[in-house]
Amino acid sequence: MIELRRVSKRFGSQYVLKDVSGTVTRGEVAVVCGPSGSGKSTLIRTINRLEELDGGQILLEGRDIHEPAMDVDSLRMRVGFVFQQFNLFPHLSVLDNITLAPRRLQKLSKDEAEARAFDLLERVGLRAKATAFPGSLSGGQSQRVAIARSLAMSPQVMLFDEPTSALDPEMVSEVLAVMTDLARDGMTMMCVTHEMGFARNVADTVWFLEAGTLLVRLSAEEFFGGNVDARIRTFIGHTTTG
Amino acid sequence: MLQILHDYGVLFLVGTFPNGPLGGLAGTLLLATLAAALALPLSIVLAVARIDNRRVYSAPASAVVTLMRGTPLLMVIFWSNYALPLLVGGSVGPFWVMLGALVVYQSAYLAEVVRAGINALPRGQYEAARALGLSHKETLVRIILPQALYNSFPALLAQFVSIIKETSLGFVIGVHEFSTAAAEANNDLLVKPVQIFSLLAITYFVVCFVFASMARSLERHMGMAKGVAPA
Repeated sequence: MIELRRVSKRFGSQYVLKDVSGTVTRGEVAVVCGPSGSGKSTLIRTINRLEELDGGQILLEGRDIHEPAMDVDSLRMRVGFVFQQFNLFPHLSVLDNITLAPRRLQKLSKDEAEARAFDLLERVGLRAKATAFPGSLSGGQSQRVAIARSLAMSPQVMLFDEPTSALDPEMVSEVLAVMTDLARDGMTMMCVTHEMGFARNVADTVWFLEAGTLLVRLSAEEFFGGNVDARIRTFIGHTTTG
Repeated sequence: MLQILHDYGVLFLVGTFPNGPLGGLAGTLLLATLAAALALPLSIVLAVARIDNRRVYSAPASAVVTLMRGTPLLMVIFWSNYALPLLVGGSVGPFWVMLGALVVYQSAYLAEVVRAGINALPRGQYEAARALGLSHKETLVRIILPQALYNSFPALLAQFVSIIKETSLGFVIGVHEFSTAAAEANNDLLVKPVQIFSLLAITYFVVCFVFASMARSLERHMGMAKGVAPA
């Protein structure tokens, strides 16, 4: 479904991604981890072109998404993205946050868009917050709304860029529960996260990046099986939430 | 002073209206309000063009803003006074000359206020809207500008105070406004210039103070609503 071919990216002369290759198949949940500054966020941002590439290719269902003829906006309608900082629109209600894109881009009627939004809010457990404004939500609630907002476009793939890193510890689990539910439902997902418990229980594959290179891409069993590079064992040891 | 107010109060307030054009303080406020109302949309266009990545848009917008901010308003008024009739191909009344000059001049200043409001928003707002598939334009209209304009409202109101003060320069080309009314009163009376121009100054101050206070209290209010301590 997603195929990365020798993806490279540099800022100035500094490589933040170097020859990263790998695939994510339909329905797969891939967790991308690694020490901070290893290029994880940059990598996931290249997949919906929030970052441009300096080398290599990214194919989505066989089509190179960085080619000049690619319509960025239509690509992004098919690829959901969840940010670390939620980035809800503070001047719009929860409902309007969710219905904005479907109404503007898929030309859904107000009623259709709102019916879909209510279903999604139900799913993330926040139906009661439909008329609330983002300023009145907790971090965990905000992130669940942000996930619902992305899902409202019925994307084929969901990308998560450290979705729980900005949350207070007691709110992490509610967001992970929504993501787990999504994964069980068969959504193709790529998640940058430090949550090793989530990786162990939900991920099919784990990508480990270090200094811009993909050190390993293993199945979750292998990754947590212990028979891996010492750097990875150290990393897993340090992220104790598993 | 009271005698002056008694004799010239109406001239101060509305000029020679209804026997002549609206002037005096009413003329000043009309001119300032029209200038602000016309300059604001223009300033939004300038601000949006200025932050555009494409130089075809950003370069001319930057040029206009830099030029206007580096020129005394009086020069812009003189220039309008002689150039506008040539552009229009006929005579242009002083009110319209002044309005044109103020709109062009103030749109540059307001553009900087709007641009600051846009730049103060977290980058994530733009990225999140684009990540949903909204276009650059739609993101500006639906997400960025509503927030930026709301946040800049106190600063825009403060800029309105500047516009009120700047209308007094209309005196040099004979616009019917407050300063011109005072000068007419002075020409008529001849012996009380200090009192007349003191009245003029006090009135300007009171009007400007009211708007400036509104801007300040709005700013405090909006800051508190967001949990930000007032500056």
